Amino acid sequence: MFYRLAGIRHTSYESARQLYTIPADKVQVYGLLLLAVLAPLYLPSLYLNSYLLPWLVWSSAAMSLTLLMGMAGQLHFGFAAVMAIGAYASIHLARFGVPFEFALIGAGLITSIIGTAFGAAALRVKGLYLVMATLAMQYLVDWVIINVPAISGGAQATLQTPEVKFLFVPLQSATSLYFGALIWAVVVTVLLLNIKRTSMGRALAAVRDKDFAAAVIGVNPFKYKLLAFWTSSFLGGISGAVLAFCYYQAVTPEQFGFNVSIQLVAMVLVGGLGSVIGAYLGAAFVLLIPIVLTNLIAGLVATTGLPISSNLLAHIPLMIYGALIIGFLLFEPLGLAKIYDNIRKYFVVWPFRHTQR
Amino acid sequence: MKTLFKGLLGATASAAMLAGPVQAENDDITVGLLQDFTAVYTFVTDEYSQGQQDYLNLVNARGGIDGHMINAVVRDTGNEPQRGIEAYNRVREEGAVLVDFLSTPVSRANVNRVLNDEVVMITPLHGRGDASDGETFPYVFPLMATYWSQAALLIDYIDEHEGGIEGKNIAHVYIDSPFGREPVPVLEELSERLNFNVRTFPYASPGTEQSAVWSDIRRYRPDHVILWGAGGGQPVSIREAIRNGIPVENVLSVVWLAETDVDVVGRDRATGVKRFEAVATGRDYPIIQDILDEVYAQGDGAGPEERVGTTYYNIGVATMAVAVEGMRIAMDEFGPPMTGDKLRQGMERIEEFDAQGMMPPVSFSEQDHQGGGFGRVSQWDGENWEPVSDWSAAYQDIVWEEIEKDAAGFREGN
Repeated sequence: MFYRLAGIRHTSYESARQLYTIPADKVQVYGLLLLAVLAPLYLPSLYLNSYLLPWLVWSSAAMSLTLLMGMAGQLHFGFAAVMAIGAYASIHLARFGVPFEFALIGAGLITSIIGTAFGAAALRVKGLYLVMATLAMQYLVDWVIINVPAISGGAQATLQTPEVKFLFVPLQSATSLYFGALIWAVVVTVLLLNIKRTSMGRALAAVRDKDFAAAVIGVNPFKYKLLAFWTSSFLGGISGAVLAFCYYQAVTPEQFGFNVSIQLVAMVLVGGLGSVIGAYLGAAFVLLIPIVLTNLIAGLVATTGLPISSNLLAHIPLMIYGALIIGFLLFEPLGLAKIYDNIRKYFVVWPFRHTQR
Repeated sequence: MKTLFKGLLGATASAAMLAGPVQAENDDITVGLLQDFTAVYTFVTDEYSQGQQDYLNLVNARGGIDGHMINAVVRDTGNEPQRGIEAYNRVREEGAVLVDFLSTPVSRANVNRVLNDEVVMITPLHGRGDASDGETFPYVFPLMATYWSQAALLIDYIDEHEGGIEGKNIAHVYIDSPFGREPVPVLEELSERLNFNVRTFPYASPGTEQSAVWSDIRRYRPDHVILWGAGGGQPVSIREAIRNGIPVENVLSVVWLAETDVDVVGRDRATGVKRFEAVATGRDYPIIQDILDEVYAQGDGAGPEERVGTTYYNIGVATMAVAVEGMRIAMDEFGPPMTGDKLRQGMERIEEFDAQGMMPPVSFSEQDHQGGGFGRVSQWDGENWEPVSDWSAAYQDIVWEEIEKDAAGFREGN
């Protein structure tokens, strides 16, 4: 129906390898991009600043993590620490007088170096053992930030982001902050969509599926594992910096605690490992559903006048949220992205029942 | 297909309507009590929030403030800054003039926002201590003694009531976090001025395992131990002190020690432990009696009646009593409608307010948003918390040095 296939024939490898082989996909993506660009015009500021903006930043972070966990198969349970390094590095660089654009890149590079050093454990260990190594990174980074006042910002352990300009536009107004986050989300999205089509993407997939089999066919696991940590930490570090500058505007160690790492892993898993749209859906699920549920339930109780204690009221959304996670994963173990994929495939061959592509 | 889409559209629209911010009716005064009911602060939030809601119900039952009802928006933030920011932006659009997050990370994330939006944020016993500097933080009110004031008062208590402090060994046992480390500069400054020894002993968060640290403390042979933790770590500390032969009378705690903690230790075994107290505990106060008579007798209580009069319940009542007093003054001086700016000025004009004997007499000013840093020490006698000193404030010169230093840091971007 929506996905018209008539007349689309790929006669060369190049055209078959396009990002969007079906025009309908391209139309959808550009439509969404247009909606996102025009969002400040039609969305009330509450939804722009408290929903869309953090969603974009967390989606960028989830995409950075899914590059490592989904595409390269290296588990990382300390990704909040990666973002923390990026956030603190960018603020200190910007305070030092480095232009914001370079501060971002510098923050990415610093994060890459530290992230890759810890990721080097992946050369020796896999699976749960790698989880332990990355957990160690989480706690070490937390400890260093809290215990070095020069990093955390004195006794109150708070650092405000300095006033900066991005490409000559001061990052002050709600709209400019939103566009800062949007630009970064677009950059990461385009990068991830294309990495899958490159030799690097195929090498990462080979390493993910079986690293010694990859070595047999000539892919260097040593190089590609480190490269995956390097790239992912770079993106994660800048996502942390964007989170600090465009959203929080004041950074404290608690914002990058272990629970945040778990939330990031949840975003990637609930969304669907290795999927870009999954990162967006997963971030929306983990970040926004608790907020929406809290407000919905509170609104329902207020309008119906049910006598419910504030304590129970606070826990009902949590119960529903937990049930939703289990429900979605039972319904489709491969995550929200797979649900989207099933729907899309259904429509691609509609009105026939069998999915072909 | 069409019906499906229509249904989906309808569902989304109705959900959006339900979830959308609702403007407060006419001249109501909206306050946002956006707290952590589900994550880290659960040891205090339920009782604290119940106290706040009950007091506001009492005020409303008596006709509000000159006929203006107070509309409390109570929401869970789960101690997550991003949820706190969303909740804050929402109540701000609903016209809130006062917010209370009862969560240090959420309060810190919102400091700049409330300063820009001119919304009063009260941070009793949490948040930034340097916000006591009203000139740097015009819209932030710590309301009660900061952690620096609490440490100074505990030291003063030992000096005055426990046979002098000169030459004694004081062990500062704290959870390894900025909160635990906060009083250290004050303790060090005081140790030089009063000539005693102080040593710090951090234990790892969340504090359920502290045995290694306590064998170190035993070797130090402290005369007094000051506990600086909150929640699950507190009873563990007291148990370890007993196990290591430190008389429980010599253990003094920060404000976060309540009935639930001594229940965990054992009501008898914990007998003798002392704590800092910012607000009186118990039911023998006119406000608490009024709440029982006028709110609970009508069945309008926000929670179980047994909790009325407990430590954190009374703290919640006191926070709202101070806020409502500020609203009254603001309403008298400036008239409706209430705004954040009017409320700030109203609160800065509060003088010698003691909530009918429930708390020390506090006064605020444009400079001082702490209210003088008053408190007292109370001791667990097996049944109740008995006060063992009078309301007082100690070494505010040192406390204000710290406040000024950190406030200057804030102006520079920390």
